[in-house]
Amino acid sequence: MRIKPRFLVGGALIVAAIAYLIALGIRSTSEYYLTVDEAVARQTELTGQAVRVAGRVKAGSISWDPATLTLGFAILPLPPQDGAKVEPVSMRAAPEIKVLCKGQPKPDMFAAGRDVIVEGRLTSHNFVTAEQVMTSCPSKYRAKKTG
Amino acid sequence: MTLIGQTALALALILALYSIGANLFGLRSRRLDVLASARHALWAMAAMVALAAGALWSGLLRSDFSLEYVASYSSTTLPTLYKLTALWGGQQGSLLFWTLLLAIFTAIVAFQTRERNAEIAPYVLIVMAAVAVFFLGMLNFVTRPFDPMIPAPAEGADLNPLLQNYWMAIHPPSLYTGYVSATVPFAFACAALITGRLDDGWIRSTRRWALFSWFFLTLGNMFGARWAYEVLGWGGYWAWDPVENAAFMPWLVMTAYLHSVMVQERKDMLKVWNLALIGLAFALTLFGTFITRSGVISSVHSFTQSGLGPYFLSFLLAVVAGYTGLLLSRLRLLRSAAELESYLSREAAFLFNNLILVGIAFAVFWGTIFPVISEAVRGVKITVGPPFFNKVNGPLALALIFLMGVGPLIAWRRATRRNLVQSFTAPAAAGIVTGLFALAAGIHQWYVLSGFSLAAFVLGTIVVEFERGVAARGRMVHERPPRALVNLVAKNNRRYGGYIIHIGVVFAFVAIIGSSFFKTEVKRSVREGQSFEVGPYKLVYLGLSSLDTVHLENVSARLNVMRDGKTVEVLEPAKLLYKRQQQPATRVAIRSTLGSDLYIVLAGVDDKSGLVTFDVFLTPLVSWLWLGGVTMALGTVVTMWPNAREREAIAAAARRRVSALERELASEVRGA
Repeated sequence: MRIKPRFLVGGALIVAAIAYLIALGIRSTSEYYLTVDEAVARQTELTGQAVRVAGRVKAGSISWDPATLTLGFAILPLPPQDGAKVEPVSMRAAPEIKVLCKGQPKPDMFAAGRDVIVEGRLTSHNFVTAEQVMTSCPSKYRAKKTG
Repeated sequence: MTLIGQTALALALILALYSIGANLFGLRSRRLDVLASARHALWAMAAMVALAAGALWSGLLRSDFSLEYVASYSSTTLPTLYKLTALWGGQQGSLLFWTLLLAIFTAIVAFQTRERNAEIAPYVLIVMAAVAVFFLGMLNFVTRPFDPMIPAPAEGADLNPLLQNYWMAIHPPSLYTGYVSATVPFAFACAALITGRLDDGWIRSTRRWALFSWFFLTLGNMFGARWAYEVLGWGGYWAWDPVENAAFMPWLVMTAYLHSVMVQERKDMLKVWNLALIGLAFALTLFGTFITRSGVISSVHSFTQSGLGPYFLSFLLAVVAGYTGLLLSRLRLLRSAAELESYLSREAAFLFNNLILVGIAFAVFWGTIFPVISEAVRGVKITVGPPFFNKVNGPLALALIFLMGVGPLIAWRRATRRNLVQSFTAPAAAGIVTGLFALAAGIHQWYVLSGFSLAAFVLGTIVVEFERGVAARGRMVHERPPRALVNLVAKNNRRYGGYIIHIGVVFAFVAIIGSSFFKTEVKRSVREGQSFEVGPYKLVYLGLSSLDTVHLENVSARLNVMRDGKTVEVLEPAKLLYKRQQQPATRVAIRSTLGSDLYIVLAGVDDKSGLVTFDVFLTPLVSWLWLGGVTMALGTVVTMWPNAREREAIAAAARRRVSALERELASEVRGA
């Protein structure tokens, strides 16, 4: 089909409008998706930004007040996945991020040692004020080779 | 069982390869008996895959934990229904299930093309068998469903509790059926390109397959949304998660395809576009599997991740490259004589509808893979969440709904002023009045106002169409309205089935607006006897009760739901603990009415303080989403219903092709 120029203009306008919406959407809604290490390393530049941080809930760090729906805990870096290179053990303590989430019920699968994604803002030094805490499916439900 | 299953899968692979070889040889040597043998091999292949699936099902039913798959995804205490659905609860099984569907569809196509479409059938079957070879290759060499577990454990790990739900029993099969049946139109498109028979024969022959695929993609998405709504307990049904997007994109492209093929059938335009769309739809089904299986994009609910990614990506790239090359090599043959003449024409409305649908699909695609791209380009992972998808797709959806009203009523070629006035005055008035009513009711968000107005406008156009048809039947065959309505739909089922689908889309659209803009959430921790208010409801917490079975532990809270001082219902949201995996899950209690849903989650029980936390949502209009889904499914069935006129058109097209062949032969004879 040959298309007359005036119809190309209409088509181009639609395509341009879609492209504009996408560009605008990306600019106004993007969040940094970080590991605990990255969040700790880059926090000066990221303070005040919307972030998602993936980590593992530190044992003994959880405080939960059901009356005010306030959940506080700390997350540690996720251990390297199978096949990833193992980094040498360093003497310094593992970096951690403290999280405070107010006004949300505690997620069902939330517990020490579980992998979570925390969504919120990096408000101060190593501290995230979270709007949402998502628990990802623990790896033990995937088939594992044994023996 | 291991031996039977593995042997069956190996034989299936060999048969698929044999069929490809026999088809190629039969085409070259022009031997019909060899082509027949290729077809029979595909039937045998389907039987072998069915045998393998049967073997795995039998293993699941008998809790045969010497199979690694059974030990990983089932247990002795798993209810029988979920033992059956565990076939698609894990990766190897779901690939086997996919292959089973593909094998069945291939066998059906091999049967349907015994006589019809004889000139392109071998190519169609080669393409389908080639896709089967890929999946069978994976099952035989990469992700094997029949690997043994040594030593066999006494008990299995159980199915993920989130999957122990009846929506999960029907959601994956629907979605897979939708995905896999898109292979059929794709294979016909490939065959048309290879043979150069580029009239609309391939489209007509696969119209019903394309609708079948769309039907199941629609249901699959709806069931998935319903599952998320009932099981995940966050009060919503759609989160723009990569896994959801993967199922939504093929639906969008298939929707575009179903519309644009009408333009080709009618006006002989958009040939290249249609071929591109069906290629894209098929590629997106593979892409969907790739992102759910590869773990490249982290998803909150990807249940199975594995090393399948590179294989799927390679296959996907090969398909895209091969198909694009084929399409480009045939561009010369795909010129069309007809031209777009006016913006005010049905062709233009369809074209713009297509651009927007593909635009939405692209926006979804871009948002889904953005973390990967930003990591590659800028070295930092940036994600975009639901706000991105809503911001981009919201306005596009409005435009699409508008075109949905315009498209069916505007004239082909070039609309006259008279046509526009006659068709659109009443619907436009309905839209404006609805908008004013909404404004008077205190709604001020521009999106909601325009959304409701457009919804009324579209319903108005559909009413106008039905009214016109009924009136015409009244004049011509003197039928009374109820009877005329039935006959109108029965005699023009393609068209009026389409309108019914549009009504369903409007329902769903209104539901999405209502539930996105007017949802309220109340979170409250209370003690026994205390109450709190949510919208017009007063909820009184009466107490906990618990139930303990071998399989799970159930703690449920009783709530008295009161409205205007009277108890309307007692709801019992619950928390479940699946013992095998020590995983909690939530059982939401919903009071559903056409106006709104009261959705209660038992969010927490604190033994120390005796406080029980509830998370309550009041979501207006959400029921219309499910009603919309049912209406869309109903409309699709109407439009797929066998129709004498269409059979005649296919037969006529076949006759034309035969006579064209005869002319060709005659001229060859004369030439010689």
